[in-house]
Amino acid sequence: MQMFLQSLVSGVLTGTLYAMIAVGLTIVFGVMRIINMAHGEMVMLGMFGAYWSYSLLHLDPFLSLLLWMPAMFLFGMVVYRFLLRKIIPGGELNSLLYTAGLSLLIANLALFLWTGDYRNINLPYGMLPARPFGISVSIPLAIAFGLALAITSLLSLFLSRTDTGRAIRATAQNPEAAALMGIEVGRIDMITFGLGTALAGASGVLLAPSLYLYPTVGEILIVKCFVIVVLGGLGSIPGAIAGGVLLGIVESLGSVYVSVAYKDGIGFVLFLLVLLFRPKGLFGVGRA
Amino acid sequence: MPRFTLPALLAAALIAAPLLSTHSFVHHLLIMVLFSTLLGLSWNLLGGFAGQVSFGHSAFLGLGAYSTLLLYLKLGLSPWFGLLAGGAVAMAVAVPIGLICFRLRGPYFSLATLAVAEIIRLVALNWDDLTAGPQGLIITHLPATSILGQTVNWESKLPFYYLIAVLALLGMGLTHLVARSRLGAYLLAVREDLESAEAVGIDTVRTRVLALALSALLVGLAGGFYGLYFRYIDPDAVFSVALSVEMVFIAVVGGIATTAGPIVGAIVLVGISETFRTQFQSGHLIFYGLFMMLVIRYLPDGIWGRVRLALKQARER
Repeated sequence: MQMFLQSLVSGVLTGTLYAMIAVGLTIVFGVMRIINMAHGEMVMLGMFGAYWSYSLLHLDPFLSLLLWMPAMFLFGMVVYRFLLRKIIPGGELNSLLYTAGLSLLIANLALFLWTGDYRNINLPYGMLPARPFGISVSIPLAIAFGLALAITSLLSLFLSRTDTGRAIRATAQNPEAAALMGIEVGRIDMITFGLGTALAGASGVLLAPSLYLYPTVGEILIVKCFVIVVLGGLGSIPGAIAGGVLLGIVESLGSVYVSVAYKDGIGFVLFLLVLLFRPKGLFGVGRA
Repeated sequence: MPRFTLPALLAAALIAAPLLSTHSFVHHLLIMVLFSTLLGLSWNLLGGFAGQVSFGHSAFLGLGAYSTLLLYLKLGLSPWFGLLAGGAVAMAVAVPIGLICFRLRGPYFSLATLAVAEIIRLVALNWDDLTAGPQGLIITHLPATSILGQTVNWESKLPFYYLIAVLALLGMGLTHLVARSRLGAYLLAVREDLESAEAVGIDTVRTRVLALALSALLVGLAGGFYGLYFRYIDPDAVFSVALSVEMVFIAVVGGIATTAGPIVGAIVLVGISETFRTQFQSGHLIFYGLFMMLVIRYLPDGIWGRVRLALKQARER
């Protein structure tokens, strides 16, 4: 029982961070109908950002969020404005392949600049786990969990309460109608892409103290992200959150009760089962 | 121009090419170009004609390579039958995947291919009894074969060159047939507008599954060739994302939904890889990414697609 609770808790903690990455992917898909294959690389850039600001400037990774989240927001807008804007009207296929090229470019530039070494951040408070109710919880992961919850809630407030947020949701529902209502769809696309990138970057910063970081880490993260958005239904934010937490729990329980070697595989099997039996996502909110 | 002139010229060029040099590195380069052409052709059948982008085609390559080598090492089956069996195994795995994924619209297939490739890689990595896990499989000796009364001992690169040339020609012939057949027209209809294709009575699921099966067959054969040529495979080599990406690259850069495009793409790919691989580690991958972005931005029909268009315009003028 103890072991079950233990793996459940760590599954929820990691799953929330997965969820945050997937929310970034899903809002971009919702508004622009493109799958950003380079989304995992945005997470990787966030991780390396946190790593460098920690090792060079001794900036606490969680504090560096204030630096990297806006920076990644700007980076995302620049990528949209100068790279993606001309590609998206060319159709789904072109943007899928284009962002795959972008992903290859970013990951391997990072590999060239920073080598393929595995790095990690050793926080002074990272070693001792907290033990509420006899369950050991890593402190950096717990902080990351709290911040991820806060950022995701702020995002949903932004989407539901502000004019820009409403415009984003309107564009996701129907770009033509939104344009007719006087919404500048191009500007909304750019902001949304910035938001998606900022979320990816922020989750990278939050994950950095708990994972090994290396330039091709985005590869495995993007695959997890796809599993999540399919579980939750492509384009749905609540679906992405639920799917992320679910994947975290399944992986964590699976590595205890099935096999550590197949930990990453369990999520994929779940993914194929969902595609087979519930193609609209587990919660029936997405569209097939 | 008579109908058979072009294929005959192509065949003659393929037969003559390795005789121009006795240098084994030149032969290796020619083999890599033809191998890449075959990969590009097979990806193109599905990704180009039907517009179903697969990011996990290395799964079929790996299945072909493992089937060929395992049948030889464990059961002693001649590798040349094993090669065919590899293609068949890849095809047999592809069909159920297609039946699951093609019921859905949109990018689900692309996402699922990544997951499938990853599952198969994990199985190959952990099923030690069958696959020897991360250690991989090695062939130390290939049995000599007798072809047209000649004994071929597979020590030099030349027999491998002719083997891959035959496979690449097979891929081109198949692509050519598909492009001119009813199936090709159906596939293009599916790519351009799925709903309209369904509305005129095309069974879009069966059409796409068929394209996937043919594509997997070719990649499976290529995988068997890979195993025999390099004589060593391990899960991270044959099931790698990088290989899947190379297949996408060859087809996109050469020209989507063309027969000759993958040759152009393969030459560019091997050129980039040989130029930069030696300069710095993984440098070639940076240029794959960059090149792919530039081609999609400025030559969305690929290099060969653009050339073909220019030729057509010149003829009409």
